Amino acid sequence: MTAADIQSASRPAAPAAPAAAPEPAAPRAWAASLRRHYLAGLVSIACGLALWEVLSRFVVANPLFLAAPSQIFLAVVSLSASGELWRHIAVSGLEFVIGYAIASLIGIALGLAMASSVLAKQVSQPWISGLYATPTIALAPLFILWFGIGIWSKVLVVILLVLFPVTINTEAGLRTTSPRLIEMLRSFGATPRQIFIKVSLPSATPFILAGLKLGIGRGLIAVVVAELFGSRAGLGRLISQSADAFNMPELFAGVVVLAVAGIAMTAGFGWLEGKLVPWTRD
Amino acid sequence: MTAKLAVSGLTKRFDALEALRAINLTVAPGEFISLVGPSGCGKTTFLRIVAGLEPATSGEVRIDGKPVTKPGGDRGFVFQNDNLLPWRSVLANAMIGPEIGGRADAAARRRTLELLKLVGLEGFEHYHPRQLSGGMRQRVNLARALAIDPDILLMDEPFSALDAQTREIMQTELLRIWEQGRKTVLFVTHQIDEAVFLSDRVLVFARRPGRVQESVEVALPRPRTLAIKRTPEFVRYVDHIWRLIEDDVRASVIEEHA
Repeated sequence: MTAADIQSASRPAAPAAPAAAPEPAAPRAWAASLRRHYLAGLVSIACGLALWEVLSRFVVANPLFLAAPSQIFLAVVSLSASGELWRHIAVSGLEFVIGYAIASLIGIALGLAMASSVLAKQVSQPWISGLYATPTIALAPLFILWFGIGIWSKVLVVILLVLFPVTINTEAGLRTTSPRLIEMLRSFGATPRQIFIKVSLPSATPFILAGLKLGIGRGLIAVVVAELFGSRAGLGRLISQSADAFNMPELFAGVVVLAVAGIAMTAGFGWLEGKLVPWTRD
Repeated sequence: MTAKLAVSGLTKRFDALEALRAINLTVAPGEFISLVGPSGCGKTTFLRIVAGLEPATSGEVRIDGKPVTKPGGDRGFVFQNDNLLPWRSVLANAMIGPEIGGRADAAARRRTLELLKLVGLEGFEHYHPRQLSGGMRQRVNLARALAIDPDILLMDEPFSALDAQTREIMQTELLRIWEQGRKTVLFVTHQIDEAVFLSDRVLVFARRPGRVQESVEVALPRPRTLAIKRTPEFVRYVDHIWRLIEDDVRASVIEEHA
């Protein structure tokens, strides 16, 4: 029982100032929590990089097999200075963004359709379950044959890989809407449309966001692998041509850029979740 | 005085199970009625049928003479689990009724703010459910039902999830609020002392099939304070009702653990 509970019990007397709000943490406490949560991780990464550096310089000692972090860093700097890195990033980024946007829209729409119509669900469920489990990325060579080595064959692969987690999560989110909340709305005479807008959609939002988040990693894989099969430019192309030339620092440079993109987008999504669906945080 | 609520021959069957058999009940305007009985006696089903959330198998429910078939703005339902929308503030949660009715205007907002004050949530309007205690969440639950200004409040074990002390506070709070508006109340509970404390009349349900075993008039003076729970009259009512349902409760407890 809170202080306000007791106080307001003594008739209309105004309750005490709100007491239940989380207190803003002091800067010092914030720094302490940063240390508590991230220090071990940062130390671990630093040690890993140091070990890698030592291994590649003194144990492997052969730049054909392994590049040291310092060499990779220099490769990133020189590739970006020459503008070549940006050209690859622009092409891969475009493929990713177009494919991801289309897959998100279709995926959410398909999920909505499946949640609202039994027939739509029965018709599409076997396809979605089957294709989600299939490594459709293996079809990339076929798409390149059909659509050429430009960006559209890659966009298609991205769509195929991103679409299904988004669809499945959207449908699951809508289907698992709490029956108790629906009943609460019904008790006020809500129409099915009102129930959908005021309860089903908001309560499915965390699921939809989770599906979109899952799609980021899959979309990046789609871009790179599709480019490996045949392309004129892109990070996958950078990686494959570096491999052909046994240029390990540049190969790793491509991988590092992809890793950073994946981490940054996933972190961005985490931030977005905090803004859009804060109630799922605790 | 004409009846606010009239139930006649109400029967509910779930396949082979007869949940309610031929319930008859007449409730005067402003009357506070509690429904007690063992688990599975159909008291919550009865409340849901009156709310229009569930159809009756036969018989009918009339409010002001008009038959009830679906939920309506003349009844406000207070749920056992608060069923607050976690993404909405306290105020937005309490406004859901007017909003659904298409009447979420400035006047409705002012009224709802008044109600939040009445239930003791002034200053918490912009909090979210996760920041509130269980007792405070049930206050929002109550304010939400009151916000549509219903004639009848239907309350389904609203305090059962609260700890014993909070529950007693909430009982006195409910009486205070009720005294101000004198709505007709149907209150389902497991707690016999809660039913006696709050009500003008306690309907004691029996199970298999669910039916009204006895209607007990509670002739304790109002306004009531918690001290009344220690008077011999109060204890006599509680004892009397407990004896009515004791065997049934034992049977249901044994079944639940079998």
